[in-house]
Amino acid sequence: MISVVLFFLFFSLLLYVLLGGADFGAGILELFSSEDNQKITKKTIYRVMGPVWEANHIWVIILIVILWVAFPLYYKVMVTSLHIPITLMLLGITLRGVAFVFRHYDAYVDESQRVYNWLFHVSSLITPIFLGMIFGGMVSGKIVLITKDVPLDFVEAYIHPWFNIFSFLVGLFFASLCTFLSAVLLIGEADEEGYPVYVRKAKIATIIVVILGFITIAYGYVMSIQFVHGITSHNVSIGLILVSAAFLYPLWYTVKKGIRIASRIFAGIQVLLIITVALYPHYPSLLITKNGTLSLLEKVAPESVINVLGISLLVGGLLIVPGLFHLLKSFKMIKILEKQTH
Amino acid sequence: MENLDAARLQMAFTLIFHIVFACIGMVMPFFMVVSHKKWLNTGNPVYLKLTKAWQKGVAIFFVTGAVSGTALSFELGLLWPEFMEHAGPIIGMPFSLEGAAFFVEAIALGFYLYGWNKIPPKFHWFTGIIVGIAGVASGILVVSANGWMNAPSGFDYVDGKFLNIDPVKALLNPAWFTQALHMVLAAFTATGFAVAGIHAFQILRNKQKELHQKAFKIAITFGAIAAILQPISGDISAKDVAQRQPVKLAAMEAHYETSKGVPLYIGGIVDQEKKEVNYKIEIPNALSFLAFGDFNAEVKGLNDFPKDDIPNVAIVHYAFQIMVGIGGLLMLAGIFFFFSNWKKKHWFDKKFFWKVFAFLAPAGFIALEAGWIVTEVGRQPWIIHKIMRTKDAVTPMPGIVYSFYLYVVLYTILTITVAWLLRRQIKSLNSTPISSL
Repeated sequence: MISVVLFFLFFSLLLYVLLGGADFGAGILELFSSEDNQKITKKTIYRVMGPVWEANHIWVIILIVILWVAFPLYYKVMVTSLHIPITLMLLGITLRGVAFVFRHYDAYVDESQRVYNWLFHVSSLITPIFLGMIFGGMVSGKIVLITKDVPLDFVEAYIHPWFNIFSFLVGLFFASLCTFLSAVLLIGEADEEGYPVYVRKAKIATIIVVILGFITIAYGYVMSIQFVHGITSHNVSIGLILVSAAFLYPLWYTVKKGIRIASRIFAGIQVLLIITVALYPHYPSLLITKNGTLSLLEKVAPESVINVLGISLLVGGLLIVPGLFHLLKSFKMIKILEKQTH
Repeated sequence: MENLDAARLQMAFTLIFHIVFACIGMVMPFFMVVSHKKWLNTGNPVYLKLTKAWQKGVAIFFVTGAVSGTALSFELGLLWPEFMEHAGPIIGMPFSLEGAAFFVEAIALGFYLYGWNKIPPKFHWFTGIIVGIAGVASGILVVSANGWMNAPSGFDYVDGKFLNIDPVKALLNPAWFTQALHMVLAAFTATGFAVAGIHAFQILRNKQKELHQKAFKIAITFGAIAAILQPISGDISAKDVAQRQPVKLAAMEAHYETSKGVPLYIGGIVDQEKKEVNYKIEIPNALSFLAFGDFNAEVKGLNDFPKDDIPNVAIVHYAFQIMVGIGGLLMLAGIFFFFSNWKKKHWFDKKFFWKVFAFLAPAGFIALEAGWIVTEVGRQPWIIHKIMRTKDAVTPMPGIVYSFYLYVVLYTILTITVAWLLRRQIKSLNSTPISSL
């Protein structure tokens, strides 16, 4: 059953990055758009994201529940050492959620839209940056395992783990990945007016993601960050990086030509590869601290708990996945299911 | 402020906020589908307009409830990591099922909000029902997790270790049913009276009378039925608490001396130093009867519990009095509504009738918050009753007080904004004629 639980952990992470990521990215795209394009984007994302908006973000709740139920020690270290960026990320999630609803459900469209839009844009940018910083913090090797008996320096224990250049680079990389995902998704959803806009934005975003990815890895390598060395010294991850590089060409081609289904598939493949490259060489030691690594499987919940959780996830999955699929289909979100028009 | 106090205040503050939004988001879909059904049956455009107006309310409250719920699911770990490390695996089941229910709700809400004229009308209406049912299911599951904190079960506690964990037994802990029943009824009462009160106020202002009267009737019917049933659930809860958490019961009643044939105190000022209650009304033998079904039963007083195990008596006692007092008032108001609707229809044309309900609009939520204060403060100093103390569960990170301030500012602004948005919704509802759909 532990493999079922691990599968769902990975699956939720993947879907949160893909769906939640595209959702965050939409706000970032809007932020970096001219006023006319902002209007087009706002209209498009309401149409495209609106129906699935809430569902996109529940993956993070599933993720966190799996962590605390099955991997309680891992979860505890994470939430304790990264308390501050997690709180800031939650602030972003809260503001973004309410801004999205307020701007579409306010009874009057007036000056207050400016405030909602501003809040939506800014929180769309900072939330994925903090999400990336949280992940960066977990692997940058700066977490100090906190014990009750030894009082620690506040800065060392609660600031350094996440407030460092590497972690910030990971945050920027994740935000750019979200923007990239969103632009690619919107290519296939936009009307005539928006179509060339997203093709152009997707091209720019692809270049930025590649550059930021390279900088992050290079910085980590030069600064001897254990996490990056783990990647660069592992055959599988090097192989996957090469695969990812090879897939850049068809990605670029399909984005440039605005082929909506194929571009989405290639974008999805890139995300799957990025997550696998980052996690596979380190699994199960997915938390790198100053004084060693912490395995995800250390002090894992007892078998009775894992079994029940695995069954709950399977049952929940059976309920949710077809429903979600039907929702996407009903609102023509999965264009794979209908004839191509572009 | 000490870290522990700051963490407790932050938790209390975020819960108080979340509960209001979650309850409205959980109950309002039912009003919406009733109105929707009436529209499908009668074709009266007033019902369509009402359904669409309520749907906007549902969307706003659902999302505000959802984001504050996301924040809470992290806060449990951020503030109480020691608690989550041990309790997480045991009460993981209600939370993982709640995640599933919440997911179903979000999917169904996606269908409902965006499904107008896009999906078959009957299926569209049905997705609204799913929103309501999934919402109530997640409410019940979350309360079950809280029930476990009051009645920990499904594990053996040996030498500070949690062994032989049985998540199903933990989910179905002895407190889950009474608490969930009490909470669901409270949610329906509070939301029913709040929504009805807002519409009553609009009727008083003589705006769109037909629409607001229809809205009022739907909301108050739910609220009144729940309010009339609530005392039964309250009685079951009281007997349950008397058995399992006698110290909580004693605090609720500010009952200090162990004795037989104990009276019930109504009101009163608690003097925690002198351990007595002044200016109260006494109903002889009533507490013994309510707690144990026997007028002469012995009720253990606070003096016979270890000093370290006693919660803040004054807070628990006052909160309990407020809850019961308002609960009784709402029950009477519910009976008053049904009686008027049955025998005195002409009262609906009188101002006093609408004034009563407009006045009662916030009452249900005050009672509901007071009820949570009773159960949460009453459980102190334990985070897991008789197993783990709250002070041992708190995060080692100092400076939680700043995070508390952050949440206070954030949620205060949000509350004001949501109230302001609702006013705008009502204003727009009143200013657009029915024919302009």
